[in-house]
Amino acid sequence: MSWETVIGLEVHAQLSTNTKLFSSASTKFGSEPNTQVDLVDLGLPGVLPVVNKDAFKKAIRFGLAIEADINQESTFDRKNYFYPDLPKGYQITQMTKPIVEGGSIDIDVDGDKKTINITRAHLEEDAGKSIHDAYPDKSVIDLNRAGTPLLEIVSEPEISSAKEAVSYMKALHQLVTFLDVCDGDMSQGSLRCDANVSIRKVGDAELGTRTEIKNINSFRFIEKAINFEIKRQIKVLESGEKVTQETRLYDSGRDETRPMRSKEFANDYRYFPDPDLLPVVISDDEMEEIRSTFPELPADKSRRYISEFQIDESEAEIISSSRELSNFFEVAVESKNDPKLAANLIVGEIGSLLNKDNIKIDESKLSSDNFNILLQRISDGTISKKIAKTILAEIWETGRNADEIINDQGLVQIQDESLLEEVITKVIESNTKQVEDYKNGKDKLFGFFVGQVMKETQGKANPKAVNDLLKKALNS
Amino acid sequence: MSIRFKTLAELKRLLENKDISSYELVNETFKNISSSKTNSFITLDEEVALNKARDFDEGKVDGDLAGIPIAQKDLFCTKNLRTTCGSKILENFIPPYDATVVDNLSAAGSICVGKTNMDEFAMGSSNETSYYGTVRNPWDLERVPGGSSGGSAAAVSEGLVCAATGTDTGGSIRQPAALCGITGIKPTYGRASRWGMIAFASSLDQAGAFARNAEDCALLLNHICSHDSKDSTSISDERENYLDNINNDLKGKKIGIIKEFDISSLNREVQDSFEQSKRIFEALGASFVEVSMPNIRLSVPTYYVVAPAECSSNLSRFDGVKYGYRAKDVDNLEELYVKSRSEGFGDEVKRRILIGTYVLSAGFYDAYYKKAQQSRRMIKNDFVDAFNEVDIIMSPSSPSSAFKIGSKTEDPIEMYLEDLFTISSNLAGVPAMSIPHGFCNGLPIGLQLIGNYLEESKILNFAHQYQKNSDWHFKTPDLGESS
Amino acid sequence: MDNKTVETISYLARLKLDKDKKEKITKDLENIIDFVAELQDLNTEDIVPLSNPLEKVAPKREDSVTSKNRKEAFLSNSPESDQDYFMVPKVVE
Repeated sequence: MSWETVIGLEVHAQLSTNTKLFSSASTKFGSEPNTQVDLVDLGLPGVLPVVNKDAFKKAIRFGLAIEADINQESTFDRKNYFYPDLPKGYQITQMTKPIVEGGSIDIDVDGDKKTINITRAHLEEDAGKSIHDAYPDKSVIDLNRAGTPLLEIVSEPEISSAKEAVSYMKALHQLVTFLDVCDGDMSQGSLRCDANVSIRKVGDAELGTRTEIKNINSFRFIEKAINFEIKRQIKVLESGEKVTQETRLYDSGRDETRPMRSKEFANDYRYFPDPDLLPVVISDDEMEEIRSTFPELPADKSRRYISEFQIDESEAEIISSSRELSNFFEVAVESKNDPKLAANLIVGEIGSLLNKDNIKIDESKLSSDNFNILLQRISDGTISKKIAKTILAEIWETGRNADEIINDQGLVQIQDESLLEEVITKVIESNTKQVEDYKNGKDKLFGFFVGQVMKETQGKANPKAVNDLLKKALNS
Repeated sequence: MSIRFKTLAELKRLLENKDISSYELVNETFKNISSSKTNSFITLDEEVALNKARDFDEGKVDGDLAGIPIAQKDLFCTKNLRTTCGSKILENFIPPYDATVVDNLSAAGSICVGKTNMDEFAMGSSNETSYYGTVRNPWDLERVPGGSSGGSAAAVSEGLVCAATGTDTGGSIRQPAALCGITGIKPTYGRASRWGMIAFASSLDQAGAFARNAEDCALLLNHICSHDSKDSTSISDERENYLDNINNDLKGKKIGIIKEFDISSLNREVQDSFEQSKRIFEALGASFVEVSMPNIRLSVPTYYVVAPAECSSNLSRFDGVKYGYRAKDVDNLEELYVKSRSEGFGDEVKRRILIGTYVLSAGFYDAYYKKAQQSRRMIKNDFVDAFNEVDIIMSPSSPSSAFKIGSKTEDPIEMYLEDLFTISSNLAGVPAMSIPHGFCNGLPIGLQLIGNYLEESKILNFAHQYQKNSDWHFKTPDLGESS
Repeated sequence: MDNKTVETISYLARLKLDKDKKEKITKDLENIIDFVAELQDLNTEDIVPLSNPLEKVAPKREDSVTSKNRKEAFLSNSPESDQDYFMVPKVVE
């Protein structure tokens, strides 16, 4: 029997605001426990929420990017349930009138394009953190995260494989980081995903019973967790049993999903409008301001790079796909460097160094200033592109100034024709056999002579000059 | 010199003329409290209060209310001073911050002597649901003072303090003011900040004041009311000086009588007082118009859906985890929740949480909660229409005078009907007040004046003119030996 | 309002009713629900629900950190904590 998978993702993106959704406490990650907790975040008796303007700006920016409808009047509701890291006993969320509705995200799976529709994206507050392994018989609570603004992005159940789910998450990741909506750091939980997975017989109109896998926090785990769950459900159905609608956790250590402790009664969240908050209205002026500060998205950037700088399409795509790389590239170009050369180095040498260390460009020791120097030295003929790679490797390790490296290691390119002629004469004299063959028509040997000259000059010879002078010498 | 039963304005004058020091005033207040039999305070703050009085006497403090001892309902958070909200669950709760109302009043120089008793979480109309014991009515110690702000009302009525704060969710200022024979006002919803007010029903709760007369209430509101950026539902319009219009002429003004409130079914004395009060206003040049408010009959049922729904959610934070009471000997988290809450809350609070949970639960939301919100709008619209015709609306504050302690505790609904006349103004959010206007069975009763949105000034004007032409607000209980 | 309903809502509200009071409170709840049931027959067609009497809009706060660290005060007010955390009986997920 053949089965098809239906997946919908609920992605929680922590918004990169300075303060929480309803309080003025910091949202910084990694601080001492319980030090970023306001009266409001502790849910003390008598405290009241006031919404953060920037959380709305970011949510709207996301909505505009996916071409969704923005509800200029949105409201907050309470979702009631008890949990120790939920200080008020309810979460403030947008159930009835979310800020963003509709829109879509394009994904690419092995070259096949697909559009995933978005149901809604709403603002809500994050819970604190419960830590269960600090004591044998206690759980402990850190409320630093409590109240951090989240944008919950809910997709339509249009994703049909784990691979597509990963592509969707990657596309979303790129988008939210580009928009400066979320820092995208999945290991810190800035972007996490709940996956609703169900399977049905191919051709069935009705959806199968779904399970929800909670809080998956890496691309790899999304793929593994969903694939495990698909196999598990198929096994259940093929053995004639039924899938239970439940919430499951992915255990990456065992590579399996397992049900969360089942509750005596099903939860009933008793949503109702939060009486402490009035409707939030975004004026036309505010919308205009958000539109006018809208950042350029990858596809637009790529197109612009090609038309404005005539760089390769593949290079343009790679650079524009990352916010950090495109910033780095744009700084270089703004400093009047050769765009093609800059792109070439960023995608080539720098790209492989980044991959090797698995870091982002702004986490490396290569500063934009130093990169500028390097590009200038190539353009003004001081060094060759080949030497530039050596210098980059050195900067990567030490962060030293490119000029210093060039001077200290004597890497300045040899342009002096008389000096080069001397070397060429030496090469011709010590390779008489090859000269003869060349003159007898073995043109391919030209490269051999270039190589020999380079070897003699430790690569510092200006390649164009070598070419010209060698041709003259050999054809004479 | 006896300070008992002096008004706020009188005490101000005594202080200004240095006829009495603030220290004497505060000291005398604590003496009176210690001999009181009404149980109107839960927590006293003697040392701090006396120090503040000394500061005033040394000329270090000024302000509109400087040197005057007042009481705070124990629902307002007071920094470093225990705040229980009448509940066991907050028996040891010391707030790390002040409510805005508390802040405002101390910025005006007033001295908080302590926290007044109240129905647990303000849920009640008799003060019998307090974990800290029933408050007794100074007019008859066997009777209730009304609720939920019963401690504040009794303390002012008994002359322990000249002024006290209260909160009013369905009548919790006006009904006890009526039953204790004093003046009490609830401003427009949002006019006073709710920051630091322990929430019962967020869309209905409003802070207000008790005093011996309308003029003192106006002075208090000048400080209680403010715009507060910490409260999203706080009104940003500039606050007027409530004393400015208090002496306006009532000639040509129109007072609405609600057709649907059947006053003829009430006690004869309540009816007579109402008629007499009408004549006083007529003599002042006002006229009466009957206004029809067809949806006002829905007020009590609407309220008993909306208020419990909000309370069921507002009181979820009392879970024994971060502050407040935690049950002993619990094996797991579920038990911690259930035991802490079941041991920490009293029966009325439990009843309301359960009702609220029920009306919000899946399958019942539309039938109860949504319907109640719709009927709430219908009630509000009735007020909007009525205020197109009249300046203020007038009704009795409560169906009768103070009842015997224990006489209504068995039947919650009978208790709920105590707020028949007061609840609708909370649902609509309009300001309303109660002034003493007679007696029924030898006990005081109140007259309710309801104003249009942000027209506190107008009802205070009517009340003050009434009090200039009547003497009900001068009547004080006979305290026997304790006085 | 039967026993089972009372059980369910008690569970949701994390309340347990004393045995000797359960019957009385269940009866009270039933009466209250009967009392408010009047609303169900109300014709509310085209009536927009009113959730707050102030028909205004929420103010928005600037995104700047003004809150202080109050960890010590908060933890000392809690029923159980160590020097860093609030503590509860172990939660099994």
